[in-house]
Amino acid sequence: MDNITAKSKDVTLLEVLDRVLDKGVIIAGDIVISVADVDLIYLGLRVLLSSVETMERIRGAPFPSPMQEAT
Amino acid sequence: MAMNSVVETDFPETFVEEMEKLQEALPRRIDANPKNVEKGLAKLVLTLVELIRKLLEKQAMRRIEAGSLSDEQIERVGETLMKLEAKMHELKEVFGLKDEELNINLGPLGDLM
Amino acid sequence: MKLYLYGIIDSSSMIRESICGLEGSCVYNIPYCDIGVVVSEINQPIQSVSEHVVLEHEAVAEKLMEKFTVLPFRLLTILDGRENVLSMMDDYYGDFRDNLDGLRGKVEFGIKVVWPADKVKRRIINTYRTKNRNAHLSDDSAERRFVREKFEEHKIARAFREKANGYIHAMDVFLGKFATAKKLETLRTENLLLSAAYLVTKDNQDNFREAFEHIRTARKDLKYLFSGPWPPYHFVTLRRKSQPLRNAGQTAIFDKVILQPTLVGADKTWQ
Repeated sequence: MDNITAKSKDVTLLEVLDRVLDKGVIIAGDIVISVADVDLIYLGLRVLLSSVETMERIRGAPFPSPMQEAT
Repeated sequence: MAMNSVVETDFPETFVEEMEKLQEALPRRIDANPKNVEKGLAKLVLTLVELIRKLLEKQAMRRIEAGSLSDEQIERVGETLMKLEAKMHELKEVFGLKDEELNINLGPLGDLM
Repeated sequence: MKLYLYGIIDSSSMIRESICGLEGSCVYNIPYCDIGVVVSEINQPIQSVSEHVVLEHEAVAEKLMEKFTVLPFRLLTILDGRENVLSMMDDYYGDFRDNLDGLRGKVEFGIKVVWPADKVKRRIINTYRTKNRNAHLSDDSAERRFVREKFEEHKIARAFREKANGYIHAMDVFLGKFATAKKLETLRTENLLLSAAYLVTKDNQDNFREAFEHIRTARKDLKYLFSGPWPPYHFVTLRRKSQPLRNAGQTAIFDKVILQPTLVGADKTWQ
């Protein structure tokens, strides 16, 4: 994958993250089980990419990229 | 399943660079590891001190601009601001903290400074 | 049974198409009065939040957007059991209902603009120094020099912000014409002049796009990013105050979120 394609993937992911991390419907309370509000903010691009690498190593196989399925 | 939204730009590298900077300004979890507790607390305290220092500076500038300070007062203000800045610099060195680390992200309110 | 939440839709019917969510599980609608909450079941704890999870989450919200008005959930909203989901709907129904009504037939577009902050500052500094050429007195004390320098910084910073606002206002004049709502953020970084979300009716999408093309060609010295159409993430407003999250008694669905060592510390477990 050349650099521009890689960067385009990154910028798409960053744009999505910019929205899903702390926008949209945000509910809180005892009944919500998920990473705590504050913790969600830590999930930045570098963290995600490193998580994918680590998970792929553990699984012994790469994740299929959703981007490849897009027309 | 793939998303439909498109993200269009002629400069993906530029935007990646800027948006990654946003990620860096994120609050760090206060680590319970004792080695880092001291540094975490220092960061918190110094962030607040820095905020106050900057507010004082801003206030002083506004008054100078408004012309409400005498020459002597300006001299004294200068002396105080110099000392404050020097002290902050010293404290940052003692705790090994950089300017970028002294900020707090208030979520929807943006950054403290 | 852990339920992962994707969005609130303005329909209490079953979703006819088969939509796949996280872990390949089926996405379905839990009705509540005249609206519904779209979920899927999660069986295994999510080991780590990967790019994969983020994009799948977004893909579901966008699929829903094709047929319904959707209020997209923030990433990783997970509730334990249908009871809790319905209880949540009890609390938020009014808010959801109002938001759905206000957002019907509208989509979000994102625009980001980068400008050469250094160049802008240099120009401002030159202008300022030319104007104040005679202000320097060589026999000034260190204190006065310090104040003068600080003052210059202060004026430059203000001129910088005013310049930014001028640019943004000029752009907003065009973009705002075809938007029903907007959220603008100035100078999130020095170079990121504008980070904006515009709410546009589906009918006005083309006009809005045209307005963007106009400003893109009008100011070629700036760099632009255009994204969308998104579900209206920036325009969901909940009146009901969220209660602070209490950690006591929460099931840890995340066994471990793997982070880079520099962020928290290698192999730290989330509480």
